[in-house]
Amino acid sequence: MSVEGISDIFGRVLEVGDVAAESDFFALGGDSLLATRVLSAVARDYGVELSFDDFAVAPTPAALAERIASVR
Amino acid sequence: MSRVVIVGAGLAGLTAATDLSQAGVEVTVLEARDRVGGRTHGIEVAPGAWIDGGAAYLGDRHTDLAKTIADLGLKTVPTTMEGQSRFVLGHGRVTREGRFPPLSAVALGDLFDQLDDLVHRVRPGAPWRSDIADDQTAAEWAQRNLEHPDARAFFPLFLGEMMAADPADVSVLHMAFYLSSGGGLRYLNAFEGGAQDSRVDGGAHQLCRRLADELGSGVVRLNTPVYTIDQTARSAAVYCEGAMHICDAVVVAVPPPLADEIDLLPDAPVRRTTDRMAPGRAVKVHLIYPEPLWRERGLSGWSVNADGPLMSTVDDSPASGGAGVLTGFVTGRQATRYAALSPAEQRREAIAQSATIFPDLPEPTGFRVTNWVREQYSRGCYAALFGPGDWKLLGPHLAAPHGRVHWAGAETSTEFFGLMEGAIRSGHRAAAEILAHHQPLSS
Repeated sequence: MSVEGISDIFGRVLEVGDVAAESDFFALGGDSLLATRVLSAVARDYGVELSFDDFAVAPTPAALAERIASVR
Repeated sequence: MSRVVIVGAGLAGLTAATDLSQAGVEVTVLEARDRVGGRTHGIEVAPGAWIDGGAAYLGDRHTDLAKTIADLGLKTVPTTMEGQSRFVLGHGRVTREGRFPPLSAVALGDLFDQLDDLVHRVRPGAPWRSDIADDQTAAEWAQRNLEHPDARAFFPLFLGEMMAADPADVSVLHMAFYLSSGGGLRYLNAFEGGAQDSRVDGGAHQLCRRLADELGSGVVRLNTPVYTIDQTARSAAVYCEGAMHICDAVVVAVPPPLADEIDLLPDAPVRRTTDRMAPGRAVKVHLIYPEPLWRERGLSGWSVNADGPLMSTVDDSPASGGAGVLTGFVTGRQATRYAALSPAEQRREAIAQSATIFPDLPEPTGFRVTNWVREQYSRGCYAALFGPGDWKLLGPHLAAPHGRVHWAGAETSTEFFGLMEGAIRSGHRAAAEILAHHQPLSS
């Protein structure tokens, strides 16, 4: 599990290029619909099911990776 | 000078009429209703305060609509959504920030991933050539592909809100096409920064009123349904009650199910509807309050509800003030049932449900219903719903001229199909076809 892996998911869902570890998903144009697609990808890739509220307080690749690590 | 008759005084027909008139063509617009506007319709809820009984929203990608709005001296206002939302999704009433429903985010993400995959398989300008089988309904697709109960529960709500369809009505291809045509899942779903970013200040019905006014008196004839279009090598004759109009070309700018009821002589080689096609299933309900009382209670007015009739509500209060308005969308299967109720039953059900969703609000002081399902000269709203096989069969013919008869309307635009933007683009396209092919014949 890596921050880069989460950055890749952000980039794919947002249809943008490189996403930095500290980039805020919502500031990059993400919304709640796209956030669910990040969470479904996280569930597939890392076997962790997070809620929308989990994501709302950890909306950067670095914070989300930390969150995933803490529940694994 | 050449003459063109336009059938239908909605956005498509009046856009075509305006373009042709500006090019020096003599135009006559024949409208079956006693008003212009088609699927836009204004309702005055307080003196000078208007709301949209029909099409209402637009976003930054709706560039032709933005140009029409500016040309007519109208303005837009942002759709405001601040405060908490309400959700009544089978586990009691939930109040929370934002528009995200209290359902499994992973399950909804999986649903949206699958829909997004379909959207990317649509061929935009020619959806009938998409790499998607056209033999399955969206309901069958959901049965096979959605496992989580939250995804199964949310899917019909989403389809109802996005395209006023029951999943059993539409083919998978039509669903994917509609989502693609409107700009994709995120854009079509979003208010701020999406397809519901703004409204026309004072109501979208003003667009057609002003377009009709600018065409000049006598150009638009109301209460004039067209029965027959008879064309020869030299001209076309458009027959309506008590009159016949001879012209060089005709623009038929009404929804395909209505267009198909006009007798064409000679007949078109291919029909533009099938008996699988369903009317867009939307009834718009307005709950009217003295002012937007929910705002002072920290609520946005947005709600999503598993049980009908109001599948969702949104704050549509006029920007000018004068009233608070919650618009309730009755869509999909609920619309079919609700549309058949008496006005008293419609009122009773909607008011009772609003008390369940918003027990903190007093009973509304006013109540209006715009029943698009039963509207004789629309046959549904937002747009005609294509069933399995319809796109492959009809797709190539929807906008293909039949001699002197050209087709316009929101269903003939593969861009922003079913939306005001699509209607306007189709009107420009039909006018351009005529200016390219017909004007030299008699000028």
